[in-house]
Parts: sequence; structure tokens; C-alpha cells
Amino acid sequence: MLSLALRRSFATVPVLLGVSFVVFAALHLAPGDAARTILGYGATEERVQALRAELGLDRPLLIQFGDWLWALLQGDLGRSISLGVPVSDIILDKIWASLLLMGASFALTAVFGLLFAALAGGAHRTVRDRLVTISMLVLASLPPFWLGIVLLFVFGLQLRLLPISGVGIMEESATILDIARHLVLPAVTTAASSLAVVARVTRSFFIDAMGEPYVLAARARGLSETRIVTVEAMRNVLPAFVTIAGLQIGYLFGSALFSEIVFNWPGIGLQLYQAILQRDFPVVQGCVLAIAVVFVIGNLIADLLAIALDPRRRG
Amino acid sequence: MSAAATARGSAVAELARAFLRDRTASAGLAILALTGATALLAPVLAPFGPDEATPSLRLAPPLTPGHPLGLDHQGRDVLSRILHGAQLTLLTGLAPVIAGALVAIPLGLVAAWYERIGAVIMLAMDVLFAFPMALLAILVTSSLGPGMINLLLSLVIVLLPYNVRVVHQAAAAQKALPYVEALRACGTPVRKILFVELLPNVAPAAIVYGATVLGSIVVTAAGLSFLGLGVQPPHAEWGVMIAEGRNVVFLAPHVAALPGLALTLLVIACNLLGDGVRDALDPRTRATLGHRGDP
Repeated sequence: MLSLALRRSFATVPVLLGVSFVVFAALHLAPGDAARTILGYGATEERVQALRAELGLDRPLLIQFGDWLWALLQGDLGRSISLGVPVSDIILDKIWASLLLMGASFALTAVFGLLFAALAGGAHRTVRDRLVTISMLVLASLPPFWLGIVLLFVFGLQLRLLPISGVGIMEESATILDIARHLVLPAVTTAASSLAVVARVTRSFFIDAMGEPYVLAARARGLSETRIVTVEAMRNVLPAFVTIAGLQIGYLFGSALFSEIVFNWPGIGLQLYQAILQRDFPVVQGCVLAIAVVFVIGNLIADLLAIALDPRRRG
Repeated sequence: MSAAATARGSAVAELARAFLRDRTASAGLAILALTGATALLAPVLAPFGPDEATPSLRLAPPLTPGHPLGLDHQGRDVLSRILHGAQLTLLTGLAPVIAGALVAIPLGLVAAWYERIGAVIMLAMDVLFAFPMALLAILVTSSLGPGMINLLLSLVIVLLPYNVRVVHQAAAAQKALPYVEALRACGTPVRKILFVELLPNVAPAAIVYGATVLGSIVVTAAGLSFLGLGVQPPHAEWGVMIAEGRNVVFLAPHVAALPGLALTLLVIACNLLGDGVRDALDPRTRATLGHRGDP
């Protein structure tokens, strides 16, 4: 188990290296000149050339990448063009808000995904199964950026039940309850479609499990249907469920980006969006890299957890 | 050869029959066809042009006489914009899926045939896999700059790792079969083996995958336009319309709500279609997600 875990962890190293190259190249191969972008179109050609030399933009791409990677390994992601502060400071400042949102959304996805799957799959071909299946189809199809606006309008503006902007969590006086209240709408928006996808797929695992001989045996022993679904079938569904829930991490990141923007949530996604609008490339680079690294690590954890839960895959 | 072709033809017919028997899949296809017809006939169906404005009725609610779905912040008819918007929304959602499959098929075939080149191609795909879909699309569009062509290009790149992996898996399975060995023994040129013999056996996997991923690409495409990275205003596109409506959601919620409803309905149709295609091909894999090939 340990050696397998170590091997999986090492396998992420070339991927992370490739990821940093893609992030680097995407913005360096982009049409348009970074030095020109920084100085503006009024600058003279000499000044642009001087800045290009100063930033090292006139050297071969691979050498630039090597320097950039070396600095990156030392925690230096460059400076923001628009704010003038180190990019690493910006990311460290914002990433906890994103991790909080992601954590809450993932918890919602896993808990409700499993709950709805058990409700539907444990009672295949009943009215309850039908109702849950149809609701999950609709939920899976809701665009997050639209759902966010609808929730914001209904719960924030009409019912005035919940705060509509996440900026409040940055205040010194914010209590845990305040943060939780601010978290509800963005987390629901982020989790909705992933939750439904998890529920749809896991439901089919439950249907398969309920047809197995051990379920028949459990029924013969007189165990209650609830116990059969929540204990007997659950035990066999869990490893596949963890894999499916883990695969949703990527979608959650995408949805989280939209909810951060819609709800003004002060995380990496909102920062990335603002940096794109301002063409602040070092910040774009840093944010994309931070999200991709968290994503790779999240996938690794889900992978290892699925192996740990499934005795057949250990070894 | 002709017997094989007939068998293949009847397999496709069988697939189509199984697909049409599935009520939900047919419903999905029907809604999708309806959206397509709406898009094509928008100039005839829509009471107004997409940019035609009646400034005096700005933000008027639905059921305003002559404007059943109300007007937006510039006084444009929301119904007309939704009907016209179907064109770009469908185009930006469908075209990358088709183009993505067309690009991935040769890449996947070559990767499966030449193992060394294949290792390099698949490593590149693994790297692209390490980005969440929406994030990669945002990275590419912000690098290339906003606009519809760049939006399409970015979505093709986003789909590449998924598509190539599906084709690669299918092609590698075919490569091990006796008929391929026989072709090699006969000295058939590799080019012909790959693109004449293997292609028809690999294409269904790519098509099924395309159908299952359609819904999320439609959402991602509209999402990028919503962020201002795709289709640009004042073009009528549902993501753009939702973004415009977001700014006036206090005053006139219908401006964002209605194009969003249309988009949701389209995505439901895509998901029904995807489920149907998958079930028709293999009733056993009721809802497994073939997104990331299992290691």
C-alpha cells in the first residue's frame, strides 16, 4: 500500500512539470508582446526593446522556462503588473477562501450525491426512484453561472435570507457563523451539477449491488431494507463512489470559478478573472498554476482513498 | 470485405433502432432538433431582429403587448434574441465536439499504432488532463484573446485529452485482433490499415463519447461567453444574454432568467441524448462516466 502510494505520488511529478510548461507557454506564445502590453501602445520601440531585454523576453523560450521554473521552485512567481506586489503573496492571500469554497462544495457533492443515489438506487423502479432521477437530470443540466444568479435573486434579493456577496468573509469581525452563512449560496451553486452527476452514476452502482446474492441473503436473514441499502449495499458501492466523486473535483473547480465571480467570493477564481480582464499575465499564470496543482493533488488523494477502500486494488 | 461492410451497416441500424426505442433519448433528440430548427428559422420566426431596439420599453416585463417575453436593458425583444441566440449557442456547443473528434481520431490512431510516438502523445494528453476543463478553456482563450474562433479552438483543445484517450483505447483493442494481423501479413500499407480498416471500428467510440460530453461543452461554451471570453456582445448568444441580464437582475430578472431557461433545456436535451446513445451501445454501462480512462 505504502509503495503504491509513493509510486502514485511520484508519477505526478512529470505531470506537474508539464502543467507548469503549458501554463508558461500558453501566455508566452500568445499573440502580442508582453513588454508592449506592460508599456502600452504609446511607448517607443526603443523602450519596448529595452524592457524586453530587461525581462529576458528576447532569449529562447526554453531558457526562459528554465529560469521561470527555477524561480517558481523558490516560491517566486513574479510580480503583478497591475498591483505591483509579488504574485505568491496574492495567491497565499486568496487561496484559503477558494479551498473553503471547494471543501464545502465537495462535502455537499459527496454527502448529497450518495444520499440521492441510495434513495433512488435502493428502490429501483419506484415512484421515489423516478422522482429523484428526473430531479438529478435537471440539476445536472443547470449552468452554474445561471443557477448562481437565480439563487442570488431568490434567496438574497427576494427572500433576503442569505448574503449575496462573499466579500464579508474577509472582515476581521466575521464569526464562523457569518462565514457559513456567506458560504451557503456559492457552495450550493458550485456543487449542484456535480452532485447530480455523482448521484446518477452511483445510483446505477446501487442498482447493481441490490441485485447481488448477498443482498438476497441479507433479505432472507430478515434484515430491514434500510439496513440493506445503508450497510450491505453501501459497503460494496463505496469504492466506486469515491472514484466517481473524485472525478468531479475538476468540474467543481470549473463551477467554483463561476460562483466566485457571480457571488464576488474573494478567492483565486475571482482573482484570475480580474487578472484576465486587466491582462495581468503573471497573476493569470500564478492563479492557473495554483488551481492546477490543487487539482492534481486532489485527484491523487481521491485515487489513493479509492485504493484504500477497495481491498481488491491493494497490493 | 462486403460481408463485413454489411455486418457493420446492420450494426449501425441496430444501434439506431435501440436508440429510437429509448423514449428519453428520442425526447432529447427531438428537443435538440427543435432547437436546431429554431436556430435556422430564427429570421422568420422572430418578431424582431436581434439588435432591433425599442428604447422606450427598456426592461419591460414579459407579457408586454407585442413582446411576450419582455425587453432587455437596451429595449431589445427578449424572445427574438433567444430565437436568434440559438444559432451561436448551438454552433459554439456542437462545432467543437465534432471538430474535436475529427482531430482526435488521427492522433489516437497514430498513438495506438506507433508505441513510441504514442507514449509522447499520451504524456502530452496526461498533462492536459491535469487541468480542470473550464480552467484550460479559460487559459487558452485568455492567451489567444476573446472571440468566437478562439472560443471554438480552445474547446477543441479542452476536449483533446478525453477524445484522444477514447480513440487510443478503441484502436489499441482493435490492433490486437486477428484481422489486423492478417492485413499486416498481406503487406497492407499502414496508412490504409489505420484510415480505411481501423477507422470505421474506432469511430463509434468517438461518436458515443462526443454525445456524452455534448452537454458539458454547451455549458462551458456559454460560460466562456458569459465571462466575456467567447462570443462578444452585442451578438445574441445565451451566455452573453445571461451576462447582460446579470447587471439588471434587481430591476428585470427576466432578462437573465429566460435565456438561462432555454440553455438549461438545451443541456437537458444533450444529456438525454448522451444517456440514450450510451445505453443503445451498451445497456450494461447504464451511467458510467468514461471521462478518465481507468489506470
